[in-house]
Amino acid sequence: MRKIHPKVEEAVDTLDLNPVTRRRLLAGTGLASASLAATALLAGCGEDQPAAKGAGNYPVTPRWKFVFVCHVTAHPFFTPTQYGIADACALLNCDYQWTGSQNSVVAEMVNATNAGVSAKADGIAVAVIDARAFNGPVNAALDAGIPVVSYNADGEPNNPGTNRLAYIGQPLYDSGRSLGEQLIATGFNGGEVVCFIATPGSLNIQPRSDGARDVLKESGVSHTFTQIATGTDLPAELNAIEAYLQGHANIKAALAVDGGSTDALGKTVAKLKLKDKGVIAGGFDLQPGTLESVKGGSLDYTIDQQPYLQGFLPVMALYLYKLSGGLVSPCDTNTSLSFVTKENVAQFQDVKTRFEGSDTAQKIVPRSGGIPHK
Amino acid sequence: MTAPTTTPRRLVRRGVDEFLRFREASILLVTIALVVYFQTATPVFLTEGNLVTISHYVAPVAIIAAGQVLLLVSGEIDLSVGHMYALAPFLMLYGMNSGLPVLPAIALALAAGAAVGLVNGLVTVVLGVPSFVTTLGMLFLLSGITLVTSNAYPAPIPDGARGVSGWLGGGPWAEIIWAIAIVVVFQIVLSRTRWGLHTVAVGGNAHGASEAGVRVRNIKIGNFMITSLLGAFTGILEAFRITSIEPLAGGSGIMFAAVAAAVIGGTALAGGSGTIVGAFLGAVVLGVLRDGFNLIGISANRFDLILGAAILIAMVLNVYLARLRTRGAV
Repeated sequence: MRKIHPKVEEAVDTLDLNPVTRRRLLAGTGLASASLAATALLAGCGEDQPAAKGAGNYPVTPRWKFVFVCHVTAHPFFTPTQYGIADACALLNCDYQWTGSQNSVVAEMVNATNAGVSAKADGIAVAVIDARAFNGPVNAALDAGIPVVSYNADGEPNNPGTNRLAYIGQPLYDSGRSLGEQLIATGFNGGEVVCFIATPGSLNIQPRSDGARDVLKESGVSHTFTQIATGTDLPAELNAIEAYLQGHANIKAALAVDGGSTDALGKTVAKLKLKDKGVIAGGFDLQPGTLESVKGGSLDYTIDQQPYLQGFLPVMALYLYKLSGGLVSPCDTNTSLSFVTKENVAQFQDVKTRFEGSDTAQKIVPRSGGIPHK
Repeated sequence: MTAPTTTPRRLVRRGVDEFLRFREASILLVTIALVVYFQTATPVFLTEGNLVTISHYVAPVAIIAAGQVLLLVSGEIDLSVGHMYALAPFLMLYGMNSGLPVLPAIALALAAGAAVGLVNGLVTVVLGVPSFVTTLGMLFLLSGITLVTSNAYPAPIPDGARGVSGWLGGGPWAEIIWAIAIVVVFQIVLSRTRWGLHTVAVGGNAHGASEAGVRVRNIKIGNFMITSLLGAFTGILEAFRITSIEPLAGGSGIMFAAVAAAVIGGTALAGGSGTIVGAFLGAVVLGVLRDGFNLIGISANRFDLILGAAILIAMVLNVYLARLRTRGAV
């Protein structure tokens, strides 16, 4: 027999095969050996070791497995979310699976959730991007005794769309209100306001725009509020935003409610030198271009919804539910109340960390000086 | 003179040969191997709940693949079918919003599907635009119509449609039953009717077929209409299944899955040969892989990696067996 790398043998041992299959697999014969070997290697990469001792003070537990169903599994926004999940699972001797759809196809997410129920997952976290489709699968999971939380997205405003135990993420409407409140706090005192949005009506961004609109209305500051659709790819967003801002010389404030539009807004404000006219600009998320604009001053602020916590905290909640036999129940958690401004942007931009998804390495992030407050 | 000796061994050998001569044999073997593997890897694989989940992975791909095979065999392709899938349930909704009862509203959506196929077909065969380009344009056009008319906002299944929901994807097994029925019907069409014979002839050699009196244009247009109509029907089934009408449903993902299923099942992309049962088995392979990977807990990013490798391995095996078959080795 050819020489087999010890790592491969070790990985194959995790498969629990009979001796003949094992030999054939190692010799590389047989129809399924390639896929078997691939699976074994993946499994061998550290997901299936039994827990030697309990986490911290806790008793030894089985390696509970939590399934995360996401609507855009490969989106960079969720990179820190996956690090959060991985870190929490490493703390607690658990396993996880990151699955769902690559481009918001709800049917695929529903299938992945149902497969999680069939596989008897120990807990499920779902990004509920549709207010109806997940009701059945979530009920099926709860009926099967599997705790379910939602993360990142939670149906429509006033309608969570499922019977999940709790939501961990950013309440979208409230975060929109924060966007508007920060605009007033930054010195907005009336005039034309424009709000850029990638896809009007989309459940995961429209409520933000509504929140900003309502806060401005309630503030009593005299203004007009216009919502402009920009589309979903950056070049097109740049065109749409530049066209609008060039055509409206009296704009006093420009807001954006999604990561792409915010990035494009910052670039356009810089290009048209709108800061010279005193335009206030703000938006959402921490795309590299957005941070650049905050640093350069063309964006006054952007809202961080802390994607790391959207992975870390659901694992904690599901783990405690399992550990306590359901006595410690997941609670709604708002992960969003953090503004990034010129004062604190350096710590996001200059330091590469797992918490923002910009680095894979584990390390302590140093900070110094006072903590900004009102 | 002595009768040829038929030892049991030779009988088995002949049985194997007979089996492998079926075009679908290799893919069936792959399917069985995968099922055996996943059942050994996780005992819940063959439970009823999971079989229902697998059927939900398989059915939409299998139905669209049935149409796509007809088109591929006749030498064309429809890239827009996934976007017809997204638009159709919205058309049903708009129909019901304007006062139609549910069944006429569904008929309207299906007719729209056939009409889109007609346009695809006319532009392709009459104006001579390659179907890859025609249907690429149609892909964006349909997507635009869906997004604009729906404001990119999902809608619930209207209350008036609840009554038929169980038949149309609401019931756990409804979708796969439709899929199997459609596969059987269109396999018969392809291999037992004049339409099927002409489809193969057109894809194998359009010029020769036309000389022999086959109405090449009609065959192609008809197959475009069938594909688009099946896409519309699948979209409606899926909307009923997930109880929500989604502007981002279907799309290029399901279209490519259907083409992959067809190709895995032995359909030649260049036209002239293919089977719908093979495409169904291709859809089963894709569905079993996706479900199985979810069951054993492979994360999404590795998933594409393994899926891609699995498709390539299945294809290489397929081509290899096909070569043996033409050489007469089996």
